[in-house]
This record gives sequence, C-alpha cells and structure tokens, in this order.
Amino acid sequence: MNTHRFMCRIGDGFGKFFLFLVLFFLYVPIVVLALMSFNESMHYQLPFEFSTRWYVDLASNERLLTASFNSVMLALVNTVIATILGTMAAFAFARYRFRGRTILQLLLFPPITIPWLIIGVSMLVLFFWTGIGRGLHAMLLGHVALSLPYVIIVVGARLASFGPELEEAAASLGATPLQSFMRVSVPVMLPGMVAAGLFAFAVSFDQFVISYFLAAPGISVLPVEIFSAIRKGFTPEVNAISTIMIVVSMSVFLIFARLSKFGGER
Amino acid sequence: MRVETRRRWAITGLTGPAYLWLTVTIFLPLSAMLYFSFQMKGPFGKHTSEFTLKHYDAFFTKDYLQALTWRSLEMGFHTTALCLIIGFPAAYILAKRIKGRWREALFLLVVLPFWSNALVRIFSWTIVLRPDGFLDRAVHLVLPGVPPIDLTDSYAAIIIGLTHSYLPYMILTCYLSLQAIDDSLIEAARSMGARAHTIFWRIILPLSIPGLAAGTVLIFVPVIGSFFEPKLLGGTQGAMIGTVIEEQFTVVSNWPLGGALSFILLAIILLILGVSSPFLRQHMKSS
Amino acid sequence: MSEVSARNVTKRYGELRALDNVSLDFPDGSFFALLGPSGSGKTTLLRSIAGFVEPEEGEILIDGVDVAHIPAHKRDIGMVFQNYALFPHMNVFDNIAFGLSVRGVSKADTRKRVGDLLDLVQLSGLDERKPKQLSGGQQQRVALARALVTDPKVLLLDEPLGALDKRLRQEMQIELKQIQRAVGITAIFVTHDQEEALTLSDQIAIINDGKLVQIGEPNEIYENPRTRFAASFLGDANFMEGSVDGDRVTVENLGALATSSPLAGARATLAVRPEKMQLTALDAAVSEGNRVEGTVTQRVFSGTSVTYIVETAAGPMRTFQQNAGDRMFDADEKVAITWSPNHTVVVED
Repeated sequence: MNTHRFMCRIGDGFGKFFLFLVLFFLYVPIVVLALMSFNESMHYQLPFEFSTRWYVDLASNERLLTASFNSVMLALVNTVIATILGTMAAFAFARYRFRGRTILQLLLFPPITIPWLIIGVSMLVLFFWTGIGRGLHAMLLGHVALSLPYVIIVVGARLASFGPELEEAAASLGATPLQSFMRVSVPVMLPGMVAAGLFAFAVSFDQFVISYFLAAPGISVLPVEIFSAIRKGFTPEVNAISTIMIVVSMSVFLIFARLSKFGGER
Repeated sequence: MRVETRRRWAITGLTGPAYLWLTVTIFLPLSAMLYFSFQMKGPFGKHTSEFTLKHYDAFFTKDYLQALTWRSLEMGFHTTALCLIIGFPAAYILAKRIKGRWREALFLLVVLPFWSNALVRIFSWTIVLRPDGFLDRAVHLVLPGVPPIDLTDSYAAIIIGLTHSYLPYMILTCYLSLQAIDDSLIEAARSMGARAHTIFWRIILPLSIPGLAAGTVLIFVPVIGSFFEPKLLGGTQGAMIGTVIEEQFTVVSNWPLGGALSFILLAIILLILGVSSPFLRQHMKSS
Repeated sequence: MSEVSARNVTKRYGELRALDNVSLDFPDGSFFALLGPSGSGKTTLLRSIAGFVEPEEGEILIDGVDVAHIPAHKRDIGMVFQNYALFPHMNVFDNIAFGLSVRGVSKADTRKRVGDLLDLVQLSGLDERKPKQLSGGQQQRVALARALVTDPKVLLLDEPLGALDKRLRQEMQIELKQIQRAVGITAIFVTHDQEEALTLSDQIAIINDGKLVQIGEPNEIYENPRTRFAASFLGDANFMEGSVDGDRVTVENLGALATSSPLAGARATLAVRPEKMQLTALDAAVSEGNRVEGTVTQRVFSGTSVTYIVETAAGPMRTFQQNAGDRMFDADEKVAITWSPNHTVVVED
C-alpha cells in the first residue's frame, strides 16, 4: 500500500517536472526575445543592460509604424466582415436542414487544411491575372477567407446549445423573421460572435504567409515588415515590435478564452 | 409552397455571401493556378494559351525536386514525432494528474504561445540558438568544458523551431481526447485487477487515438508545406519543397512550375489524408 | 375564443407518414389533449397548427380560415414549449412582454397587461428575475403567461408539464386547467402521459402511427375504447380473443363470455379493465356475469389498492382490488374472477 502510494507520488512529481520542462521550452524563446528588446546592446551582447532605446527608436520608424497601422486596420475590418458573414452562415447551418448542407460544411475545411503557402500563391496567381492586384484589399480578401471557417465553427458551437425553439417561440408570439433574428437570435449568439470576432482578429493580425504573397511594394503589414527586417539582418528594434505584437495577440487570446468559457456556461 | 420558398431564400441569403467570398478567394484561385500549371507561361504580358505538361514532368526528371520533397517529408516526420513524444505525455499529465484550477491555468499557458505570431516565434529561436546566444551560455554554465554550440543554419534548428511552433496543437488535441475518458473507466479496470501498464495500453491509448491522429494530421500537413521556418532557421540548410515553391513566385517568377509543384504537394497531402481517414473515422466512431 | 379544425391533413417525412389523413375538430373553448406514444405524429399535428410544419395535403382552419399560407408569426397563436424556450437574455417581464412589444403596444398598456398576467400565474414581484434564476414550475408559469399575453386565438402546449417532477406536475395540472377556464381559450396540448390527458382535458384524441385512433371525452374513451391500442394506451386492460357465438364470445379454455357490446363477424377481442374485475374465493356465492378461475401468481400492495396477477387457462390477468380492509389473497391461492358483461368491451385489433 505505502510503497504504491510512494511510487505514485514520485510519478506525479516527475510528471509535474516534465510539464514544467515543456512550458520552459515553450516560453524560453519568447522571454528571451522580449528581454533582448530591453537590452542596450545592438548585437544582443551580454551582460544585460536595461534600456528602452529600441522602443524609442521604434516611435520614429515610419515603415514599421505604417505597417502597424495597416495591420490593425486590416485586422479590424477583417473582424467585422468575417464575423457578420460567418454568423449568418452559422445561423443557416444551425437552424435549417437543407440539401447541400453537409457539402457546404465540408467546404470549410480546405481553407483550414491546405497549407497557407499554397493558398497564398494561388491567390497571387488569380489576383494578378484578373487585375485585382496586390495590396491591402487583396490581403483583406485572403484574411477573411481564412477567418470565415473559424467564425462559423465558433458561432455554430454557441448556437448548438440553444435549440430552434427560441426562434419558434418568437414566431408564435408574432415576431417577424427579422424581429426574431435581431431580438432573439443575435443576443443569444452574441458571446459566440464576440469570441469569433477576437479569433478572426488574431487570424488576421498574426497572418504572415498570405500577406507575404499579397503585399505590394510600399504597402505592407507588420509580419511582412518584420520578415524583411530579419532577412536584412535583425536589430533589437524588431524585437521591440515583435514583443508588442506578442503582447497584443496574447491579450486578445486571454479575452477570447474568458469569453468562450463564460459563453458556454450561459 | 410559400413557406418553402421563403425558407430557400433565407438559406441562400444567409450562406451566399460567405461562400461567394470563399469561392473568390480559395476555390477560384486554386482553379486558376491549376490552369496555369499546365501552361507554358504565367499570366504576364499578353497571355497566349499553350498547353504543356513540362512543369509536372520537371518534378519527375529533376532529381533535386524529388530530393527536396523527400526532405520536406522527413522534416514533417521528425517534427510530428517529436511533438508526439513530448505532447502526449504532457497532455496526459495535464488531463489526468493535475486537478482543478491548476489544470485550467496550465492548459491556458500551453495554448497561449500559439496565439502569438508564428514568424516572431521562429525569429526568437534565431536569437536563442545563435553562437553566444541563450542556449550556448546556458550549456556552458552547466558544463564549462564543452565546445561552443552554434545551431545557426542547421537542420536541428529547423526541427526545434517547428516543434516549438506546433507542439501546442498536439497537446491540445490529445488533451481533449484524454479528458473525455471517464475516470470511472480507469477505476473499473483497476477494480478488475488491471495493472497500470495494462490500463495504459488497453484503455487510455486506444481511446486517445482520435486526438493523436488529429494532432498528427494537423502538424504533418502544414509542416511539409512550410517555407519561412526552414528559411529563417536553416539558412543554406533550409532548402525544402516549400521554399522552392515560394521562390518560383517571389524570386524566379516561374509561376507555372510553382503551381505544378504546389499541386504535387497537395496531391501528397491528400494521399496522406486519404490513407489516414478510414483509420481516423473508425476510431472516431469507436470512441 | 376560436375553433380549430384539421381536414385530411397528411405530412410525410420521406417514406414515413407522420400524419396520415387526419381530420379533427377542436371546439371553441375546449381543452383538447392529443395523446399518443412518441413518434405517433401528435407533435407534428400541433406544429402544423402552429405553422412550424407544412403539411403536404389537407388544410388547417382557424375560425374557418385556411391558414396554410399564413406564416407562424401571423397566425395569432400562443405556444408553450416542452422546455419552455424562455429567452435567456431577457428577464421575466421582458419575456412576457415580448409578444406585445413586437406588436408595438404602448409602454403603459404593456405594463398593465403584463402585470395582470403575472397576477394570473401568481408570479407578481418576480419581474426582474432572469429565467435561469427561476424554478422549473416558475419557468412554466412564465411560459404560460408569455403565451397568453397577446390574447391568442388558440393556446398550443407541447408536453407542457413533462419537465416537472410528479408532485409539482399534479399541482400545475389543476392550475393550468383553472387558468384555461378563466381565460376561456381553446387549448390543445400534446402529451404521452395518459393520466395527464385524463385529468386535464375535456376531449382526447388518441393518435398512433400518424392516424387518428379515437376521439371523445376522457371517460367515454376510457370506458369504451374502440381498439386494442386505445384500450392499452389509455389505462390498463386484459384482452381475450374468441369466436363469436350468438351474443356470446367463446374463448378457448375459458368458455363463453357475455358482453353488452354488439357483436359482428366470426371472431372478436374482448377488453376488460383490471379494476372492473372482482376477485373472490372459489366457494363464494356466484354473482351474475362472467366468471373465470385461476391461481394468484403475484400480489403487489400499493396502499389504496392491491394488484393481483392471476394465471388463468387463457394466460395471466391483472386485477386491481380496492383496499377495503378485506382479507388479501396469497400467492398460489385459487381464486375466481368475476365481472359484468357491461364492462366487457369489444375492441378492434
């Protein structure tokens, strides 16, 4: 008995240590990156000397500032479009049984499963060929396409927890389909829509591959600028902007996690 | 049938915009690229249609393209294997050995890095792995005598970076499978006299196969199509089929060849999914 | 106050006929139960009246008007759903006021009307609560008030008490009936619970396999079930099959049994309710009517009554005896079962 318990505790202790190592592996590079953005040395030289000069430099780096602005605007517009279109589709899937429904749902998988590289270059081909061209509008087309499947899945999960009786109840009380949608369905879906919107924001804000192929000279977004800065030979300035990006994305995720949890309970 | 007509309009109106968008941005582009992969020239200047198989032929006649594809598959295999070896035990400990609020918090910590930019995370490894970087210094702090460690531009660096990028996927999918296994099932097995390793091999592992399989597919597929990770971490060692495709579009401007290679890669991916899907489905059903 | 009719209504789901040529009149002000097992089509009929299901054939009339092309929200109905379907994001007041608000009723009128209904269902003072904060019975009352607030032509209830526990269900049955009477509304409710159908309704329609089996007042259906299904679904029954022999039915091994129902054809099935049978000792004085001998195989005591399973030459029979303080029969005891020809009903198979 006691030996068994003893072995269990050793096992548990080892397990926790293992988990600690995994987390260490996951966080070390991120922490190093962030620390180096506060290091005085140009070439990541140690000993560590605290400095905010790279963040100050950042404030006068026109290219990175423009790219940051583009990234945020693109992510916001993407969020609005993807959330609205995705919610509409999710609602149709949840409330109607129709022929072709399964096929439409299966069609959500290619954007998720085909490597972004292939999607990106194929967009480049079509957009260039048809004259849609490259630039922020092209990136928006691409980002919304990648966000839509996730929005449909997240909002769909929320809708699945409420049956169609709510809309039927509204109809039995005399609400027109539009009244029922705006006053019953939308408020019920709202937590799911907010979660999906945050998700869509992250998909766009962190998107590099698609943007890389669709960026036009002079019109770029943050990850693309960071990539070219890295290729040119990196500076701690890139660390600084990367650190800011990570903080933004992780905050968005933490809000998402909170919401989707509370959303599920309501 | 007015109700039926109304219903049809509602369905079309609700799903139409999203799917129109997906058509323009996913399905039409893939079709266009398929078309150009059979053309002599890309969509530059005045385009004249001229059918050819030479870009697909190139894959079979040029050894280096096959070698790089093989290398990409190897890279996918190594990354997936590492994620499995690290991710499954981590998910198991998280799901079965840690309880309550701690589990929630740790789970959040595991998936959190996933939400930061993949490019930035790969970039961070270049800082960690460079000579006189974090790894080098940490190792020398413990073992002062060893020669300097420089993993810059190495295959190992690529695998480390990719494993770091995709590990949360494996932990996530395995965790979801493992969490769904009722503890009373394990207790029942124990009450029947099953020993720990029997419980693991006969109950826990079979029931978590959907998660393992999902994680494997979700990691293997994007990794063999990756290009900036090998580029940034591998340098001269980083040539893969993904980087070749990328360069056809950004450097060489041989779009038809890039398109043909993309579809070959896609065919390989579909083959893998096809082979694994009956296996996947069977286990989905049984669980 | 309105009457509702279904005329030759048929609804198919692929090959399956959920409703097969059903015709039914729901009289003005009646409390009408649609009773049947799950999958019988009773819910489909209710949802056809509500406008959520579109029958392929036949018509649904509300006050004589065919509503086939009138969508649910214009039918002027009130509906109580099985799980109440209260709007989770609205409080009690807003839930009840919803029907008024979509009709653009003024704030003052709404306040008054909702107040009246809160009084009616005895929930005054709970207006600010969210549905989550209410008990099952309270949610049921809110659902009822919400359905009644617009003064609909007909009240539809889908298994309204199904989610409540037994004691609360009995309380609510009485209250539901009182409210229906007070409002004077035509109410149609779906249930698979025979006891609920008997206590609540003034008319019952038994539905099985998409077809109407029998319509009538509760006691009428109970005493004179038309089919074997009606007899066994609404209450319990012992069945005996035999050949028709003048005004008697000869059952193999039991002999000739008398019935007051008219007989036709060569064979007939008799149904007798368990509580209509008397159990006596073998040597007791023979009363008039039918008599069968058997052996008690099981005795179940449940307070007010005792259930005996008696093995007879024609198989086991079930009888209920009032617990009037008499001696109880023991297992393996030989007994005689007697009953009146008036309680011997001929049913279709």
